[in-house]
Amino acid sequence: MALLYGLLWRLLLLLVHVNTALVSWLRVRLRSWKGRLWERAVAALLLPVALAGFPDQHKKLNHNPDATANPVTGNRDDGRRARWLSDGKALEKLPVHVGLLVAEEEPSYSDVANLVVWCMAVGISYVSVYDNHGIFRKNNSRLLEEILRQQNLLGVDGSKYSIEFLSNGSDKHNVVSCRPTVKVLSPEDGKQSIVQAAQQICRSVENKERSSKDISVSMLDVLLRESKNIPDPDLVLKFGPVNSTLGFLPWHIRLTEFIERWYCPTSLWFR
Amino acid sequence: MSWIKEGDLNLLEKISANVLKAGPMPKHVAFIMDGNRRFARKKNMERQEGHMQGFNKLAETLRWCKHLNIPEVTVYAFSIENFKRTKEEVDGLMELAKQKFERLLEERCFLNVCFAYTSRYEITNAVREMAWGVEQGLIKASDVSESLLSECLYSNNSPNPDLLIRTSGEVRLSDFLLWQTSHSCLVFQSVLWPEYSFWNLCEAILQYQLNHKSIQKARELHQEHQALQQLEADRACVAEHLQHHGNGKPADAQRRQEALLHYTACREDRVQDFLEALKHKRNSFFSDLCSKPVLA
Repeated sequence: MALLYGLLWRLLLLLVHVNTALVSWLRVRLRSWKGRLWERAVAALLLPVALAGFPDQHKKLNHNPDATANPVTGNRDDGRRARWLSDGKALEKLPVHVGLLVAEEEPSYSDVANLVVWCMAVGISYVSVYDNHGIFRKNNSRLLEEILRQQNLLGVDGSKYSIEFLSNGSDKHNVVSCRPTVKVLSPEDGKQSIVQAAQQICRSVENKERSSKDISVSMLDVLLRESKNIPDPDLVLKFGPVNSTLGFLPWHIRLTEFIERWYCPTSLWFR
Repeated sequence: MSWIKEGDLNLLEKISANVLKAGPMPKHVAFIMDGNRRFARKKNMERQEGHMQGFNKLAETLRWCKHLNIPEVTVYAFSIENFKRTKEEVDGLMELAKQKFERLLEERCFLNVCFAYTSRYEITNAVREMAWGVEQGLIKASDVSESLLSECLYSNNSPNPDLLIRTSGEVRLSDFLLWQTSHSCLVFQSVLWPEYSFWNLCEAILQYQLNHKSIQKARELHQEHQALQQLEADRACVAEHLQHHGNGKPADAQRRQEALLHYTACREDRVQDFLEALKHKRNSFFSDLCSKPVLA
């Protein structure tokens, strides 16, 4: 009997995998059929309100004239930028910080860079990139190159954006910045940072600089923000087949919304 | 009479349960039971009635978990934020909770209810406990680690949840078990809590099973990393110690290794003593609370 149930279970899993593959394949085909229209729809889809609860606005964006150029300047790049900005402005609310949680074994640098550039072009101030192996952290120069390349390809003005890579030291840079920022995060920025803040507090208690009774949520919060100068993520886009935060900034994701594209690796998302 | 509703699953449910049990099953499931108010609005009921339905659904869900051999369940009943609701609603919820949970004491299952809870406060409290340990001279600041922090959380007697389910379509964690669910399978379902069905639960468990291997791998990677960091931290402490107490000559590898083993053993002893003291402190807190005369 146990054997039978075991077989049935494997069959069930197989059916789910087949179903998922079919859905992904269909999505890809639909995308290639709809072409440019889909491209812009996907750009709109990246923004949280469009994806979740604002179908009317989504339709509005889709029904915009599908011009290849801005009628004012006639220039393709300017047209695209203007469209992105207007897409962003058309929405009631734009997230301040979008996190890209890449839960794939072999993430695609160009696709992630693409997404980063799109987010910044639409007006999102902070974009963070995270994977639980710390791959992007280890290869941050490669990611940076890719982002710059995508900026050029998409005709986005590179000088407007600064790319900062989070290190374990304190980030003494600008507290208030108008420049969109990209942060590359790894598991060390999660629980380990909280532990480091806790150690700092305990050391000051050891040195009789403060008492344990003084410790509050806001104290811990301030300490964590000193070393990681980023606002809490409003939205996290999850890529890859894993339904977990995989250690992404546990303290900061208190009210973060998670959008997942089930079983859809970044490569399929973009094609 | 049992509060966790008695009664078997029907044939189809039984078969499905057995099929699922052939695969890996979560040992600890956490629920964010969201959607009572929306349900009440939808059915034109009073909010209180919505919450009542929510509690009934909890009883039913616990029965399903029992049948699925899930030994531990944690639920998010009420956050500190929720106290911002109307006094009427808050009082109503408190009374309902009191009634239901009194009867629960007759059952034998692990149900953890997070009441007036936020995760950030829990983490801060754990840091405060460790600072208390330092103040008492039980541990050093350098003993603070991820595993020690985990031991100081309220949930230290439970394993981390394998699966976290949130109903009503919200896709946030809302300050619930942020530390403990870092490597849990997250399933967001759009059904409202009072309408939760056995099949919704099966769907969530299936998600867990599909993610099981990759999450397991990620967890192991994280644990390896943690162990490495602890080793590095111990090495650093030993190096510092040898520098201060050495005779100026660099210590040889063997002496360093011995010192490291000794240091690690001492640290582990210190930590054990501290955790014992913490347990004692918490137990005293509860027994003091219970022994206080109840004012009518």
